[in-house]
Amino acid sequence: MDILIVILFAITLLYFSITERFRIYTNLVCFQGFLLFALALFELKALTIGNFLFVSSETLIFKGIAVPFLLYKIINKTGEERVHVKALPGLFSLIFVSIGLLLSIIIAYSLKTRLGNITYFIVSFFALYTGLFLITSHKKIFSHLIGFLVIENAVFLFSLTIGNEMPMLINIAILLDIFASILILGIFAMRLKQHTDDLTMLKDE
Amino acid sequence: MMDFLLILPVVLSLLILIISSKLRYYFALFITLYVSVISSIPAISLLINFGSTPFVFYIFSTEIIIDNLSAFFMIVTNFTMLTGMLFSKGYLQPYLSKKSSYEIAIHYCNYLLLHVSMLLVLVFRNGFAFLIAWELMAVSSFILILFEGEKRSTLKTAVNYLIQMHIGFVFLLIAFLICQSETGNISFDALKIYFANHNNSFLFMMFFVGFAIKAGFIPLHTWLPDAHPAAPSHVSGTMSGVMIKMGIYGIIRVLSYVHFDLYLIGFFILLISAISGILGVMFAIIQHDLKKLLAYHSIENIGIIGMGIGLGTIGLGINNPLLVMLGFSGALLHVLNHSLFKSLLFYSAGSVYKNYHTHNIEQLGGVIHKMPKTAAFFLIGSIAICGLPPLNGFISEFLIYLGLFKGLTTGTFHNSILMLLAIIALVLIGGLAIFCFTKVFSVVFLGTSRKKMENEVNEVGNDMLFPQLLISLAIIAIGLFPMIFIKPITIIVSGLFKINTDSYILSITDTFSKIGIISITLIVITGSLIILRSKMLKKRKVNYGTTWGCGSANISGKQQYTGSSFANNFSDIARPLLHIKKEYNQISENEIFPAKRSFYTHPEDVFKKTILKIVDFLMMILKKLARLQTGQIQHYILYAFIFILLIFILMYLKFI
Amino acid sequence: MISFLLILITALFFPGIILRIKSITSGRKGPDILQPWKNILILLRKSSTFSSTTSYIFQIAPVIYITTIICAMLLMPFAGYKLIFGFNGDFILFAYLLALGKFFFILSAMDTGSSFEGMGANREALYSMLVEPAFFILIGTIALLTGYTSMQEIFANLQLANHYYFIISIILIYLLIQIAMIENSRMPVDDPKTHLELTMIHEVMILDHCGFDLALIQIGTTLKFAIYGTFIANFVIPVNLPIVLQLSIYFSTQIIFAAIIGFLESFRARKKLMKNPQFIVSLSSIALVAFILSLLLLHQMLK
Repeated sequence: MDILIVILFAITLLYFSITERFRIYTNLVCFQGFLLFALALFELKALTIGNFLFVSSETLIFKGIAVPFLLYKIINKTGEERVHVKALPGLFSLIFVSIGLLLSIIIAYSLKTRLGNITYFIVSFFALYTGLFLITSHKKIFSHLIGFLVIENAVFLFSLTIGNEMPMLINIAILLDIFASILILGIFAMRLKQHTDDLTMLKDE
Repeated sequence: MMDFLLILPVVLSLLILIISSKLRYYFALFITLYVSVISSIPAISLLINFGSTPFVFYIFSTEIIIDNLSAFFMIVTNFTMLTGMLFSKGYLQPYLSKKSSYEIAIHYCNYLLLHVSMLLVLVFRNGFAFLIAWELMAVSSFILILFEGEKRSTLKTAVNYLIQMHIGFVFLLIAFLICQSETGNISFDALKIYFANHNNSFLFMMFFVGFAIKAGFIPLHTWLPDAHPAAPSHVSGTMSGVMIKMGIYGIIRVLSYVHFDLYLIGFFILLISAISGILGVMFAIIQHDLKKLLAYHSIENIGIIGMGIGLGTIGLGINNPLLVMLGFSGALLHVLNHSLFKSLLFYSAGSVYKNYHTHNIEQLGGVIHKMPKTAAFFLIGSIAICGLPPLNGFISEFLIYLGLFKGLTTGTFHNSILMLLAIIALVLIGGLAIFCFTKVFSVVFLGTSRKKMENEVNEVGNDMLFPQLLISLAIIAIGLFPMIFIKPITIIVSGLFKINTDSYILSITDTFSKIGIISITLIVITGSLIILRSKMLKKRKVNYGTTWGCGSANISGKQQYTGSSFANNFSDIARPLLHIKKEYNQISENEIFPAKRSFYTHPEDVFKKTILKIVDFLMMILKKLARLQTGQIQHYILYAFIFILLIFILMYLKFI
Repeated sequence: MISFLLILITALFFPGIILRIKSITSGRKGPDILQPWKNILILLRKSSTFSSTTSYIFQIAPVIYITTIICAMLLMPFAGYKLIFGFNGDFILFAYLLALGKFFFILSAMDTGSSFEGMGANREALYSMLVEPAFFILIGTIALLTGYTSMQEIFANLQLANHYYFIISIILIYLLIQIAMIENSRMPVDDPKTHLELTMIHEVMILDHCGFDLALIQIGTTLKFAIYGTFIANFVIPVNLPIVLQLSIYFSTQIIFAAIIGFLESFRARKKLMKNPQFIVSLSSIALVAFILSLLLLHQMLK
């Protein structure tokens, strides 16, 4: 069952590359949060209550609900619905991301890791690649935010690869990262909007 | 005796220069026949006696060896050169009045020299003899391209061709010299000694670059799309059909001596071939020039052949005889197939050119009504080059596909991924080829004419159709009875790479006999359905009207889909890889009644552009350096003084 | 030969079911299940009108189109039963036969010299070129899983017992449905019920075909659908069951497949023409995911 979740995760990453609407990005981020929650439940067999609360709050509450909620807020406030006109066309990003998929499997296999599940390893590499790709190929700051969240998910997935002994510290760090980034960016995006028209863009043209 | 046999065609071909212009063609045909027969006898007898010992002769104390591989390429060469000669009679007819008799004579003389030199390339094993034959081949084909040398573009192209051939030649020369300095001997056999105890990949790369310029692998292809259109059609057919295959011959010949690093070399060849294949056909799609389009398809097909070679080499590297057999057999069969369908396509394109005087597909259209037979031959060539059943292109691509799938299922982890990528590449090449040939066939032959012709166009004469018929028959024969042709080729491969293939041949026989049966079934069902259909139509009323035009009954030829518009949706999605310059002006807002406008597209070769950029950069530097050359004697003395001073300082510092 | 007969039987009711489902979902009663075939029979009896622009290509193309599909039917296995024409790499011939049919189909569209049909033709050429890799990666995946290279052996050895295989099969069946829809010019990329020539693909290519030729093309398209349905059914049918059960599974799969197409067409909007290539290539990417998954499984098991 866990393999199905990882596959779905990989397919959402492919979907990230072709979609052009911020609402779909947000839905995908939300969906990934739920997937990660399910995956964590499957993978972390010996969950203590504290650990369970922590993981569920991190994946379900934050990644699955709070962050998408915030993102929706930003979309509604700024009225930015789509990626920049000059962003890379979907077809090419799809091809690049597919190449990334192949690259990540080659890398993961060359490393020949003894660390747990290789499928997780590949997909987390792939997520890392996709996140970086989203950031480099898009122009609007919203897409960069999404890329950042995808990278966060990649790190989470990577920590799952290690298995049960997920250090609490990493978890907290990830959580704080998300928290800070979303809050700051959300505030920025909403504040800046009031003064000029198009400041959700990182650079002009 | 053998000396005489060799010297005779050369002398005879020079005799053409003085023979009367009426008899000249027949004399040239006779020599071609003579050369073909003389060289085909040992070749065919070798291939029939399945892998008997090679023939060895001595001509002027130079060793000549005809083994299975040479024999195969010799037969391919002879067939295409013969059909080219047959085709040239009709094609050169209009030129007889335009050109001086001397020019025609030189043309035929060089055609024969090209034929002889290619055969010599195939049989010489001594390095110097090989290089001389290679050089003769380059020069004679250079003169053949120059046939319409009064055009400035042709002249430029031909010189470009000659220069690039010499760059390739230098690579080969250096490679042979390296071998000589290490082993003391300059021949292909010395390579065996060299490769046994030296680093393999470096010397192989030298050879590969030398041969790849001839074969036209991307990015070493830049001469090819210009040279083929510039030459007369029969020369383009033979050049594309067989001359560029000499590069393939060289690569396979050298590969048969390589000992180590085979996996790496195979990977490299597979990669560069896949790139050549995909980019070649992508460039082809956006061309307007019919012969240029076919030239780019040569690059694509060289890519397919290279993929076969790469697959086979990987098979050698991982010690899998099945892959070796499927890969190299596919490559060799594709060499044969490509020589057939590409010459056929060039000949029928030449027939169109003869009547319409243009290569630009945007000005053609509806040719099938005027030249139905030529259209049928072009159609056969198109189906074959797309690799569609039941014709020959499918058989060779199938061999390579099968090898790739076998490699996929039996390979290691990395191998599987590599094979999958190769499969994707081959599939894309096939799909793009179908896209390209549906475009070119429908734009040139179907629909109605886009440009008004001044005089009535008729089908070309039988002398031009006959060689095309010959080739078509060969194409169909390979498609329907593949095993007859595959079996000798597998024996060539097993002899060349010393593998045992007997057990695999059996399974392949089953496969291909079934493919043959299905191909025949396809033709039988088609035939019977056509008969049924015509019977049904006879019973009913058949009307003729205009094409449905959404209510408009007055459709002009200019409203049809053109080549550019057919390719548009493809070139849109592939824009980053292809550079197409569009020339048009937009309708302005206050222009109520739009004026007459024009639209041009200019496809550009990305690689050529890159090379030109580098050249421009170098020229810029050189121009700056040229400022030193002021023409004033004082300055030169100053330079001399500085130079002496420099030497003095260097001596003082003990650098010299 | 079982599969050949089965495809013929399926083709009889297949278009009827799709039509029926579409009618029911849109609130109508819908025609008889056999109505599409009755229409074809009428077409077969009709007289013909040809455009005077067309040539012999236009006359032979429909015949070749249907012939290639019949030949492709010969290659389709059923539940691992021995096939007369099964051989190593038969799926390559299968794909290329269909491509040959398409080749002639495109040529016949271009033969009319109409710019509408040119639009349809170049779209068809582009989409079929883009969808081909997805099909080959899919085949590559099951070839890798089973280690065989002929369709009959592949399906005879494809066990669904393991739940990993189950997941891969789900992905592959999803892909096959999408590929079937694209190859037959149905909803996500093309709309058979569209009214505007500018947005048609398949329909615009047959504008000038009529009577006997049109009937041949429609039979061909129906058969093609049934072939893909059989392909999907092969994934689902277990090899070692009595034939009666296998047949019932086969027919229920076909009915479900037809129903899925009906529902998809009723509730799904057609994609923007510009976005079609992207959608089609994304199928290849998903196929790549399945391929990588099966590669991993294979190598984990070997270890």
